[in-house]
Amino acid sequence: MHPGILALLTGSIFTSLMILYAGWYGVRILRNWDLSSGSELQLFLEKDTYLVSTLLSYALAFELVSLFLFIFTADRLHLLFSGAMCAAGTLNANGFGYPLMILKLVNFLFAGTWLVINHADNQGYDYPLIKLKYTLLLPLMPLALLELSYMLAYFSGLHADIITSCCGSLFSMERPGIAGDLAALPGAPMRLAFYASMATTLLSGIFALFRGKGYCLFSAVSSLSFLVALASLISFICLYIYELPTHHCPFCILQKQYGYIGYPLYAALLGGALTGLGAGALAPFRNRGSMARVVPALQRRLTGTTVVLYAIFTLIASYKLVFSSFRLGMN
Amino acid sequence: MKRSLERHRNILDFALSSLSRRKGKNLSLLAVYSLIVFIIASIVFFTQALKREAGLVLQDAPDLVVQRMVAGRHDPIPVAYAEKISAIRGVSEVKPRFWGYYYDAVTGANFTLVACDDPPPAAESIFIGSGVARTCRLSEGDFLPLRDLNGAPALFSVQEILPAASELVAADLIQMRGDDFRRLFDFPRGRATDLAVGAANQNELKTIAAKIVREFPDTRPILKSEMLRTYDAVFDWRSGMVLVVLAVAVLSFIIFAWDKATGLSAEERKEIGILKSIGWETGDVLLLKTWEGVVISLSAYFSGVILGYLHVFFFSASLFEHALKGWSVLYPEFRLTPVIDPYLLCVLFLLTVGPYVVATVVPSWLAATVDPDAAMRS
Amino acid sequence: MIELSEVSKSFHVGKVNQCDAVQRVSCRVATGEVTILKGPSGSGKTTLLTLIGCMARPSSGRILLHGIAQGALPGLDSAGPLEITSLPERFLTGIRRNAFGFIFQQFNLVRGITVLENVMLPGYPTGESQLAVRARASELLELFNIARHSASQVDLLSGGEMQRVAIARALINNPEVIIADEPTAHLDSRLSREFMEIIATFKARGKTVLIASHDPVVFDSPLADQVIEMRDGAVISHGFRA
Repeated sequence: MHPGILALLTGSIFTSLMILYAGWYGVRILRNWDLSSGSELQLFLEKDTYLVSTLLSYALAFELVSLFLFIFTADRLHLLFSGAMCAAGTLNANGFGYPLMILKLVNFLFAGTWLVINHADNQGYDYPLIKLKYTLLLPLMPLALLELSYMLAYFSGLHADIITSCCGSLFSMERPGIAGDLAALPGAPMRLAFYASMATTLLSGIFALFRGKGYCLFSAVSSLSFLVALASLISFICLYIYELPTHHCPFCILQKQYGYIGYPLYAALLGGALTGLGAGALAPFRNRGSMARVVPALQRRLTGTTVVLYAIFTLIASYKLVFSSFRLGMN
Repeated sequence: MKRSLERHRNILDFALSSLSRRKGKNLSLLAVYSLIVFIIASIVFFTQALKREAGLVLQDAPDLVVQRMVAGRHDPIPVAYAEKISAIRGVSEVKPRFWGYYYDAVTGANFTLVACDDPPPAAESIFIGSGVARTCRLSEGDFLPLRDLNGAPALFSVQEILPAASELVAADLIQMRGDDFRRLFDFPRGRATDLAVGAANQNELKTIAAKIVREFPDTRPILKSEMLRTYDAVFDWRSGMVLVVLAVAVLSFIIFAWDKATGLSAEERKEIGILKSIGWETGDVLLLKTWEGVVISLSAYFSGVILGYLHVFFFSASLFEHALKGWSVLYPEFRLTPVIDPYLLCVLFLLTVGPYVVATVVPSWLAATVDPDAAMRS
Repeated sequence: MIELSEVSKSFHVGKVNQCDAVQRVSCRVATGEVTILKGPSGSGKTTLLTLIGCMARPSSGRILLHGIAQGALPGLDSAGPLEITSLPERFLTGIRRNAFGFIFQQFNLVRGITVLENVMLPGYPTGESQLAVRARASELLELFNIARHSASQVDLLSGGEMQRVAIARALINNPEVIIADEPTAHLDSRLSREFMEIIATFKARGKTVLIASHDPVVFDSPLADQVIEMRDGAVISHGFRA
């Protein structure tokens, strides 16, 4: 009954409704689209494409906001659960918390990539990607419904007397499970992996920008770097922010006492992951009809954005590594 | 980029002009919308402020309170337990507390009576909270007649009225000397209402509580953190209930907004037809409608939030106190500490602007897809 | 030149009230010339104008633009004729905005805003700065002698003045083709002749003009280079002035 929960549930219901509505129109478009026809149905379908774009844009915007709002609400709710000190504990209160978060992340990236493809398609005078993009829309519908049901299950399964764990024990090295494994990753090799992946992303991005090819490779590298960066956050970057060798929690960095540094970090990382995915998603269509004029420029912009955002992430993380008064012993 | 910004600016200008040309419709929408935002904002601000006050108040509460339970009900605890509890490692102090409730038949109010020894009032004198003073119409020097357990009258002189700033906690409070308290309630000797336990290290409280229960199975230790959690949960539950009831109002608003948005007058339809015939694309008209929606939502949001803020922090939420403070005769009068919480503002935004956006997406699109040749034929 | 080949437009296809507004029309509108579409009400003139003017898509047939709106939009080939038959609305509108100026029968001015704002309207979505658009609009109002009404509401203008505002608006984006639908329907003969004088200036500047009218002042005017007569959606005659 917390207002944050109500806001999230309301928003999620609306987003699912919008995605379902968009999907329904998408199916209609898929079945009947014929650009060369001047029939009334075709004209209606072209009008429908505007609706689908608008609905998806709002859905994406909400997914992004709700990702942060979800973490924030989980953080606020931690008082209700004995053992929870931050969002990590709240999310662990039942089996739906972490899967829900991952699902929200997936939906955000999916919807964002779809919008990139949609934008490219709209620039072309022959709608070359129309069938592809509406086919891609179809899996987004069950994902949206799944997210809604997980959210309902998660929040209805929250009972104040549940004893859960604090992030200190969830993300501790001794605890079995992914969180523990991530926390237990050795510091020095992780640092190497982090900087290596960022450097590779930068280099492949510059190569793609100058040579006009290699975008698929770049996209794959940037996605991998996204995962490595997330793992690095938990493994060692957070330690420098918290100045504690055992505090691996990825959520506490969103709190006031750490200067809300989590926001620029996650914004840069998520933004970069999205644009990197977009650049790769467009690669197969570079030569399809009118896309030959549209896609190269768009890919360049997306690649440039990814490089810049990842650079920002790396700079912030490195700043903390260098200037924090904490020093991790080399192991 | 520059072209894009100019385009947005131009279309925003036209949106503002368009809104002002249909003042009646848009003002009525804005009024209803602002009202909804105002109500939701008031509830959310009020709950959060109360939670914050409760948190601040509980800061001074004892880390751990030990009560005795007999047959599942609260019973006075032997003061002798205090010695054994102080011996537990980590306990810094144990203080017996004497307090209870007194039902006053005359006013129908429940007072909280607390034995206070630091410093104590004079014999047969009391410190009272401003709620008590108001309800019983007492000033310093007046007398408050109470009845002891046997029905015999006990007259107490009002020595001091506690400052108004403490209203939230002390509205119904009566403080008296320890022996006056024991005499009034015929309180059993060697017993206290509960024991307040302090610990040097907060992290050890759970362990201490466990040890206390092991040593004295008839006791129930209550941690401060649990009290905070309960307050939070109750406030959230209450505000949630009200918000859910409000959902009906919000739903009506959505329908209202939808109706306003779909109800394009012939004039508006013609105008859009004209725009499209002179070179505005569907995307441009959609942007126009979006900007109109943004202007209305943001205006309603900000005015509703500001009014809600003023209502809660400067008028003490007079419209809602009954639902949120609980049923009681003694309503404290107090000023809540204003607090602006970005998280709350974001939640409010989603709860109020979100439904409006969803309600107007399809009507905006319908408006934007009006055929231009309809304008040619009109 | 604008070339139409077997162009048809039908509404409510397959329903009881199906209307074949334009039936298999083929014609050419030459650049720099004045073409008149003549015919009674319901003959399909207005529909044909909307098709030529990129305001609607034909149900069948082809429409090609030769040397008009070249390079107007990125993503479109500059060389060769531009076929607009199956272009998405975005592109059609872009072409219309850049290359076509419309003067409507009812003038179709937006009530509640000033004359100047009406003239500026087509410039808003182009992303040009308001200052530049405003300057051009003021110039056009000067040119047509209605600058003194810049700040007036359109409701207060006479028929002739409204028409001149409509003409100014049609010219704001400096189009290559002017399309007018029954422009003299609400004007007396003096104002009709004044309108044709304005058309003469367009022709002198090399603009292509297409007018649908059943007013003899228009279709009998010496300015007309081609007169296309329509009835029941089909072309029944083509006439060329030597």
